[in-house]
Amino acid sequence: MGIFDGFGKKEEKPKADFSNVQSGSSTTAAAPAAEAPVPDLGPAAGTSGSEQTYTVVAGDSLSKIAKHFYGDANKWPRIHEANRDQIKNPDLIHPGQKLRIPTA
Amino acid sequence: MHRSTKIQLSLCVVLLAATAACRGNGANTTADTAGVRVTEVTLGRSVGGDKAITDRTDTFKPNDTIYVSVATDGAAPSATLRAKWSFEDGQLVNESTRTIAPVNKERTEFHIAKPDGWPAGKYKLEVFLNDQSAETKSFDVRGS
Repeated sequence: MGIFDGFGKKEEKPKADFSNVQSGSSTTAAAPAAEAPVPDLGPAAGTSGSEQTYTVVAGDSLSKIAKHFYGDANKWPRIHEANRDQIKNPDLIHPGQKLRIPTA
Repeated sequence: MHRSTKIQLSLCVVLLAATAACRGNGANTTADTAGVRVTEVTLGRSVGGDKAITDRTDTFKPNDTIYVSVATDGAAPSATLRAKWSFEDGQLVNESTRTIAPVNKERTEFHIAKPDGWPAGKYKLEVFLNDQSAETKSFDVRGS
């Protein structure tokens, strides 16, 4: 253990830890049709004369759901309006949420 | 000699025509399958409702949320955008994918945040469209 032992050794920088990085994304584009949600139209779907309900699944977005029910992703604000009480951020919906889908 | 030159010239013309025809077919196929291209990649601290960057920068503070807005042009039933963020030492910071069905001009934003702050240094972002590298951006994080 000489006093020169540390000489010539490059001081190693501790490796940065990125394990807690949070990420997200959103888009103006519609979701592909292949990924469109399959509506639950059974008795549990709560279909009524004026609107029906839809349970959000992983990967859903309002535009994707609008595309499925109305055939037009740009009609997502109608679903947003009908669910203002539970959707604060239209880019953020969660699996299991039951959304009211107004008639087209 | 003169005749052989004529034959060679004719062969060249035929070969050139065949090459042009092949190029034409290839281009059409590519357009049919891809149909979408990345037109702009911008970094910043926030995005608007149209998913465009509202506070553009390439120098961030440790507590910033880092946004990238990817503009695409073209239509396709399905296109996959991927944002790959890495640190100066090559470490993967994050990788996110979004599959879209673009119609004409669209914008897609990706964002990353680190609750305990970004380490200062140089970062790289690579954006892929359908698994093909579309654009690479560099940015810095500097201590506040």
